[in-house]
Amino acid sequence: MTELVLFVLFGIGALAGAIMMVISRNPVYSALGLIAAMFSIAVLYVVNGAHFVAAVQIIVYAGAVMTLFLFVIMLIGVDQPEDTSEQLPIQRPAALALGALLLVGFLIVIGAGTLAGSDEGSVVGTVEAIADELFTNWLLPFEVTTLLLVIASVGAIVLAQFKLRDRR
Amino acid sequence: MTNALYIGIGPIIAVTLGVVVLLMVEVTLHPATRVWRLISFGSLISGFILAIVQWADAANNPQPIFSHMLMHDGFSAFGSIVLIIVAALGLLVAWPLVENDRARGAELVALVLLTTIGLMLLVSAANLMMVFLGLEVASISLYVIAGFIRKGARSNEAAVKYFLLGSFASAVFLYGVALVYAGTGTLEITAIAGPQFAGLTQTPVLLVGIGLIVVGLGFKVSAAPFHMWAPDVYQGSASGVTGFMNAGAKIAGFAALARILVVSFDAQRGDWGPALAVVAALSMVVGTVLAITQTDLKRMLAYSSVAHAGFIMTALVGGGAGIDALWFYVVTYAFQVVGAFGVVAAISGVASDESALKQYVGLGRRSPFLAGVLSLMMLAMAGIPLTAGFAGKFGVFRAALEAGYTWLVVLALVASAVGLYFYLRVIVRVYIDQETAEQPRVVITDGMRFALTTVAVLTVAFGVNPAPLLTVVSNALPF
Repeated sequence: MTELVLFVLFGIGALAGAIMMVISRNPVYSALGLIAAMFSIAVLYVVNGAHFVAAVQIIVYAGAVMTLFLFVIMLIGVDQPEDTSEQLPIQRPAALALGALLLVGFLIVIGAGTLAGSDEGSVVGTVEAIADELFTNWLLPFEVTTLLLVIASVGAIVLAQFKLRDRR
Repeated sequence: MTNALYIGIGPIIAVTLGVVVLLMVEVTLHPATRVWRLISFGSLISGFILAIVQWADAANNPQPIFSHMLMHDGFSAFGSIVLIIVAALGLLVAWPLVENDRARGAELVALVLLTTIGLMLLVSAANLMMVFLGLEVASISLYVIAGFIRKGARSNEAAVKYFLLGSFASAVFLYGVALVYAGTGTLEITAIAGPQFAGLTQTPVLLVGIGLIVVGLGFKVSAAPFHMWAPDVYQGSASGVTGFMNAGAKIAGFAALARILVVSFDAQRGDWGPALAVVAALSMVVGTVLAITQTDLKRMLAYSSVAHAGFIMTALVGGGAGIDALWFYVVTYAFQVVGAFGVVAAISGVASDESALKQYVGLGRRSPFLAGVLSLMMLAMAGIPLTAGFAGKFGVFRAALEAGYTWLVVLALVASAVGLYFYLRVIVRVYIDQETAEQPRVVITDGMRFALTTVAVLTVAFGVNPAPLLTVVSNALPF
């Protein structure tokens, strides 16, 4: 029952986010819609017992990829008028055709009845299993990646600070 | 034993602590540059002592530590000792660059230390994933160091070029690692050669993987035909840090290559041996021929480093028997590179991105000390007897001869003879050519003088009596 409620709630959330992303005129709203859609999908993963995939979905897609998108949007500037004319005349019919194809694919899969929730314990890539590996066998590589983060921030300072001082 | 765990990672922890303390102190207290020096050299010296402890301990109980991520053995300990010495000498040479830039100096010191950590991980790694991480830690720090002088167009070009080509090489290396994993099902360097994989030795996927690993590391040590970036990067980087960039990458790159090829893929030596010989031959020819035409000392040294990558690789064609020759050559060459680029930094300024040969005319009269060091380094790189360069060349040639690569040794001898031309040309400029215009006076710092003296003394000492270092490197073998 909980599963169904969550599915309906966050399914609607994902759909609403996706629609908002496509139709909104302001690119920032589009990005927010995409975040909402990705977050809702992550909740669906949790419901299906795929906790690790859900965490990755949040960290990588809703976190890192979206931050990158937002950087691009900020760099381009939100106040600039968008060129909404379509360069490729085939784009719209092609999108409709591919969308229809995807729908047919989903309907076939659903019709075949192979969609089932997870059985408890059947999931291999659980968070516990990954954490076990990460904090025992792969502890040192995991720690060394922190050095990469330090280098990234130190490097950003080294390369950016010069310009900052130059402009003054 | 748990002790090996701490002893084995001690040097790396010491230098890492140096980075953390330096950055935190700089952010919170903005201390005088003297404090930077205290912290960085303090961490390097304690790392050095811990590496000596590791060397002593590893002789008795070498073993993999951190569940086969690092190797606690003489190979790692010796590599760490040499890398820490090179880093300290590099910092001494680069120190005027650090002090001139009060806003970013501490970051430069931190990046040099971070590079050292990455290189030590590269030397000590017992797992291909660890090799990759060490490679990335060192490479990414080096990309930033290459671009340190932001106002020089050449420096910006060097950083971007190094970053793009270097990332590509890292990707190639990683692809090789993935294929080796696909071929054997393990990433542990010692396990790959294990008996359970005996039937897999010649599978194409494994051979392609080995090839890509050689290409990736060949790029990092600037072996031809993967050397295109080296002249531009070494010329564009600030003169003060170029020596360290070049020497560190050579030591750790060749050490990692030697460990992977000899420990993991000894069974496939018949496949990679000839390939390595071709790369070595190409590096010697390309590096030597192109070095002749250079008019800038930094570019000339960069091409000469390509040729030296070929000489060093010659030691590996015979597999494990050449590792001590490789160590001897790469260590003495690292000192020569630090010395030669140190003189460049003194003559044309630590932040300069060029060093035309005509700046060196009449150096013998202006600064006998620098002229002497530069000439000694040139003689050592050319492989003149009584310098460390001769003993090094002798060792690698013997290793290749014993492996049956006579053609490679003949080619290497010809390349050495041709190389004499451009090394001696520098000495002619320094001592014999007449000055046409008044050159600026040369001033060098005490740290620089100390570093150059150390390098010169070591080069002569290892040349006159190579036996002590040879004894040490014969124990610095991978477990």
